[in-house]
Amino acid sequence: MNPPLRFFIFLLFFASSINVYAQTEGDDPVSLVISTTSQIFAEVDENFKSYESDPASLQTLVRTDLIPLLDVHYSARLILGRAGRGIEKEKVDEFAEAMISLLVNRYADGLLQFRSQEPVMVLPQRGDLNEKLTRVRTRVKLPSGGEAPIDYAFHKTSEGWKAFDVIVEGISYVTTYRNQIMPEVQEKGIDLVIKRLTSGELTLAD
Amino acid sequence: MRYKLQVISIALLSLLLSACAGTQSRDTDPENDPWEGFNRKVYAFNDGLDKALVRPVAVGYDFIMPDPFQRGVGNFFRNLDAPVTFLNQILQGKVTQSADTFGRFLINSTIGLLGFFDVATRMGVPFYNEDLGQTLHKWGYEDSRYLMLPFFGPSTVRDGTGRLADSYVHPVGRAIHGRNEWGYYIVRGIDLRARFLSQDAELERAYDPYVLMRDVWLQNRRYQIYDGDPPLEDYDLYLEEDLPEQDPDSRQ
Repeated sequence: MNPPLRFFIFLLFFASSINVYAQTEGDDPVSLVISTTSQIFAEVDENFKSYESDPASLQTLVRTDLIPLLDVHYSARLILGRAGRGIEKEKVDEFAEAMISLLVNRYADGLLQFRSQEPVMVLPQRGDLNEKLTRVRTRVKLPSGGEAPIDYAFHKTSEGWKAFDVIVEGISYVTTYRNQIMPEVQEKGIDLVIKRLTSGELTLAD
Repeated sequence: MRYKLQVISIALLSLLLSACAGTQSRDTDPENDPWEGFNRKVYAFNDGLDKALVRPVAVGYDFIMPDPFQRGVGNFFRNLDAPVTFLNQILQGKVTQSADTFGRFLINSTIGLLGFFDVATRMGVPFYNEDLGQTLHKWGYEDSRYLMLPFFGPSTVRDGTGRLADSYVHPVGRAIHGRNEWGYYIVRGIDLRARFLSQDAELERAYDPYVLMRDVWLQNRRYQIYDGDPPLEDYDLYLEEDLPEQDPDSRQ
């Protein structure tokens, strides 16, 4: 039996270095995953010492490199679901911002902790999905010797392909947090949930 | 003595089940989990047992056992599952893959010293995980009700049944069937539990731990069933006002 809850360490392995199957420059999802992760990793590798002593600067770097790749507002709306109805756009963005800050910080921590990881493998794209929705499948070596399968769901927006979900061993970040956060927002209101997210009381993953 | 133990454990079970009869039973997922009220009671029972007994033992085990030894124990248990995987691969028509499982079992049981060392993986033999629950899915029993089993944890009607049947194929399961030999299951359970210790805090902090465990388990199970390549979630549904109602009685 596989420990399904290995999911919770996914952010630590969000990406490290990248083993390139097909080195194509482009704005398709596979190229985006490859270029973004290898770019971040190269920068971390170059200035590891300074980032180690100043994790906040790494968080800024990750934020700058990663955010353009993500459709944070869309993820937030998916997670809020019904509970997001009637909530003004600004509030949804505030909620999305609170979630993404947590994610970025976790990711930055992971980069420092698992620096000497073996390369991330990007599996060849399958012709399964459509022109609006696709999935990039990757494999990350774990320190224990096993592999964590991490997939990214992308959809096409007016600004090109954007990732909106991370799926680890079949466990979707959006689906799982939706079922936790939606009822909490319905019960306690979005303001309280945002407050709990920003204060660190409500965390996303370990 | 053994029968006494059984009687005591059944009495304990019914006591705990009735004790937590007051727990919430909302319908959070009528489609997959129509028995949520019952399942929550079993969950509460498992959780109580975990906090009182299983977790402390697992923490001790994790503390005492050096990591390489713990890995070896995990490999040993995993190797014993190979005959079950092999048979189910045949039942699913995955003949080439079943040859890998057969070879893996031979290599690890011999050179790997009864499975403690996973030599086959280092030799590049792929690992597969199949069981009767997955086979039944392949045969058309696709949707099954979520069922929280006492002691064993999350399952479905299909997978719980499959599990029971698989134990007649399992080398250790076969040997101890019909006898009250719980040692194997206890050690295996402790070993398994020790692997999840790092996730306890997350579960503890969740808004609804029962739902979190169910979601994680069902999604991962689907992932196993589709051999790591399940269809993507229908995200569009998430934005719709109301999720489509399905007749809960359509599930078995």
